[in-house]
Amino acid sequence: MKMKKTDIGVVAFFYLVSAYFYSQTVKLPASSQTYPRFTVALVFGLTTLYLIQMIVRAVKNGTESVTADFKDFQARQFIFCFCATIVYLVLIHFFGFYIATAIFMVAVLLFLRVPLIATAISVVVILALIYFAFQKFLGVRLPVGEVIKALK
Amino acid sequence: MLGTLAQMGAGFLNALTPINLLMMAGGVAMGIIIGCMPGLSAAMGVALMLPMTFKMAPETGLIVLGAIYCGAIFGGSISAILIHTPGTPASAATAIEGYQMTLRGHAGKALFTACYASFWGGLLSCISLYFFAPLLSQLTLKFMSAEYFWLSIFGLTIIAGVSSKSIVKGLMSGALGLLISTIGLDPITGVKRFMPSSYFAEGINTTCALIGLFSMSQVFVLAEAKIKQRARATKFTDKMSLTREERRLIRPTIFRSWIIGNLIGILPGAGASIACFLGYNTSRQFSKHKDQFGKGSIEGVAGSEAANNAVTGGSLIPTLTLGIPGESVTAVLMGGLVIQGLTPGPELFGKYAPMTYTFFAGFVLVQFFMLGIGLLGCRGFAQISRLSDAILIPCVTVLCFVGSYAIHKNIMDMVVMLVFGVLGYAMRKFDLNTAAVVLALILGPIGEKGLRNALRTSNGNISVLFSSVVCWVLIALCIVGILSPIFMAKMEKKAEKDAVAGTEEDIEKLTEEDSV
Repeated sequence: MKMKKTDIGVVAFFYLVSAYFYSQTVKLPASSQTYPRFTVALVFGLTTLYLIQMIVRAVKNGTESVTADFKDFQARQFIFCFCATIVYLVLIHFFGFYIATAIFMVAVLLFLRVPLIATAISVVVILALIYFAFQKFLGVRLPVGEVIKALK
Repeated sequence: MLGTLAQMGAGFLNALTPINLLMMAGGVAMGIIIGCMPGLSAAMGVALMLPMTFKMAPETGLIVLGAIYCGAIFGGSISAILIHTPGTPASAATAIEGYQMTLRGHAGKALFTACYASFWGGLLSCISLYFFAPLLSQLTLKFMSAEYFWLSIFGLTIIAGVSSKSIVKGLMSGALGLLISTIGLDPITGVKRFMPSSYFAEGINTTCALIGLFSMSQVFVLAEAKIKQRARATKFTDKMSLTREERRLIRPTIFRSWIIGNLIGILPGAGASIACFLGYNTSRQFSKHKDQFGKGSIEGVAGSEAANNAVTGGSLIPTLTLGIPGESVTAVLMGGLVIQGLTPGPELFGKYAPMTYTFFAGFVLVQFFMLGIGLLGCRGFAQISRLSDAILIPCVTVLCFVGSYAIHKNIMDMVVMLVFGVLGYAMRKFDLNTAAVVLALILGPIGEKGLRNALRTSNGNISVLFSSVVCWVLIALCIVGILSPIFMAKMEKKAEKDAVAGTEEDIEKLTEEDSV
């Protein structure tokens, strides 16, 4: 089994996380340090163990390129969907749940080349489902949005 | 004894209320829909529906989650049989014989066999749930603080190893989850730990983390792949039934697969995907019609489907009694239990016995709903399984957002869910284990309390962690837990290899006979 180059990033991430938590742990009162120290040590120890495994693999079998993990990766599609999700969250805050959902769904569905009729049906079905299941059945008051609140 | 029987009876009476029956039907239908869509998984479905159960009575909420679980495991067989794409990994073996039956114009018969075998597999698994769960829960009465600490570590080693390609990476995921579980107020001293804002005072919201790690991450997984048109589900015209002889033929297969599935379910670390291959292989080994294998054998379909559904009841035993879920779905189910304010263990069979036995009874009734809805709705579900990923991506995203918001009605919950969604996606991409993080978030506080109370009572003497036989048994189990994935992987590979090799052999033999 070859060493995956992407694992370098994984190991770095785990070291960073444990370093951050350790730096915060030492600031805690002594009585509260025991358990966080234990978990930080656990993460650090296991990451080091994996690092050793990686080095052994690299020496024995060589390395596997980063592209192996991203074969058939649709970058444009992924980035659009990811950004749309973040924008959706912002839209909910400003325009409320229903308006944001309609905008988000139409944008993503059209980008993914879903026919117009299917897009319309999907949006209506999801909005109706949320209205009846969450708002009516569970009594959840969904966010109205800052802009809408101000307009009211 | 009589008291337990009375509680069982009362459980059935409680489970038979109109709201519970309605929820069972809805849960099963939802589960089948999720299961038959190849892009979605049972764990994801249960996580997504978790917020819907908050306002329900605990037993009703658990029944809904159990119904989704059973429905999804069965639902995977519909697309496996009709479009040769298992909806869930638990139906991978069903695709071998099921699709062959479809090609030969017996899709209806294959679907009936899958439904019938799933029903019996699930129903029989309830027997062990009724008998073993209360017994095993008594074991935890012997647990003190140190034992609880080791129990949480054992739970983590099991789940960390089972669904990861690398055991160390699985353990790293679990350790990361433990670290994240320390965010919030110190449970003993009340000191603020790693809190960027007061929102995190109660720690990370487990439900948001669950939805993010299992459902939102799945959206990103779907978004990175090319959107493909799914194969059209074969329209079948044959009758959905089996003759009396055929039912008699698959009876022993179902019985064997029930035992296999149940044992696999009880064993923490093994899941439905292993059970289906073992059930399939065993059915071939014992079959008097080996020539049918590879050509579309009903015994093959029954063997695989009875085994994977028998896992459901079995896997609930360690989850409800010891708090050790053996796989992702039960980890999410346990999350549902904890969120309802319940703790796995003897309390569930003492103080909360009415609720537990209502859930058990509901779980039995769910099997009947699965049979009915499965048989009546197969044709419709087959069409739903064609739903494109392009539609699923925004729809699931919206449900993730609304689900995480519904719990505390706080937009910050949506942010946390999204962060865990990104984390979950990265973890899946780099072979880390999302189920281990979830379990660590649940078990972390239990382990922490156990460790700190044990150390406090012994004035910081660490030997208290090794002071009882139960501690040593749990330590030994932790070691077994770490090593078990090696054996499980070998077992799964062998079962898979045997299934494929056996089928190819049978086909070769038949071709030779035909040419002669």
